[in-house]
Amino acid sequence: MKHQKKFDQKQQQTSEVQSQQKVEHEFATVEELLRFDAQRTGVPPEVARRLNRSLRKEPAPPRPWWRRWLGQQ
Amino acid sequence: MDNSLEQRVCRPGLELESDGFAALYRAHSREIYYLTLRLLGDPQKAEDATHDVFLKAYKKHDEFRGDSSWRTWLYRIAINHCSNLRQSWHSRNLVTNGEESTWENMPAMADSPLRVLETKELGQRIQKTLDSLSEEYRVLLLLVADEELSYEAIAVLTDQSADAVRGKLHRARKAFAFSFQKTL
Repeated sequence: MKHQKKFDQKQQQTSEVQSQQKVEHEFATVEELLRFDAQRTGVPPEVARRLNRSLRKEPAPPRPWWRRWLGQQ
Repeated sequence: MDNSLEQRVCRPGLELESDGFAALYRAHSREIYYLTLRLLGDPQKAEDATHDVFLKAYKKHDEFRGDSSWRTWLYRIAINHCSNLRQSWHSRNLVTNGEESTWENMPAMADSPLRVLETKELGQRIQKTLDSLSEEYRVLLLLVADEELSYEAIAVLTDQSADAVRGKLHRARKAFAFSFQKTL
């Protein structure tokens, strides 16, 4: 029991060290740094959901002039 | 991407690209969200702004003349939108970017590589650094980071010559590098 507890503690410490390991990056320019930052920044899915709700409230676009002229739907 | 959004925006008669508005959103929403996030410095405001930018684009798509790319057109809407938001915010909260005279006399730190640790704080450091710059430098750096935009496109977007963009970007990189080191 005591041995198991010690093992668990050690395993926990190992996983903490692993999670604290940080990757060092080197960027030649500011643009590279910002590009890296942009790549790891995703758009929250809520934006698409909200946009969808807003688009539902928008009136349908008018028929193109050539359809009106030809009397088509 | 929400399926119903795709169905909705691809309806006949919208006359955007053949793939429709959903394709436009898929292709450019990441860049627009990132720009608004770093210009406004707040994820919730960036969500609102990205929504508003695409809604404006939807409503005004017939004003798109095709003399620039869709991305450039969306960037213009986003920059104007963020600028309006920031102006109304600044009128209520006076904020200055007082660092610019300090870094002007510093050695060319922009020529040295930036070494950073990938941590969750990295985004905060970048945000803090951008916040310390003028709005013009911030916009220029964020635009030039998009590889799809040429100096000429950035010049058109920011109403100046390509040479002026190059000159200001040189100073903006220097200012960023100086401020970024101070965020450690």
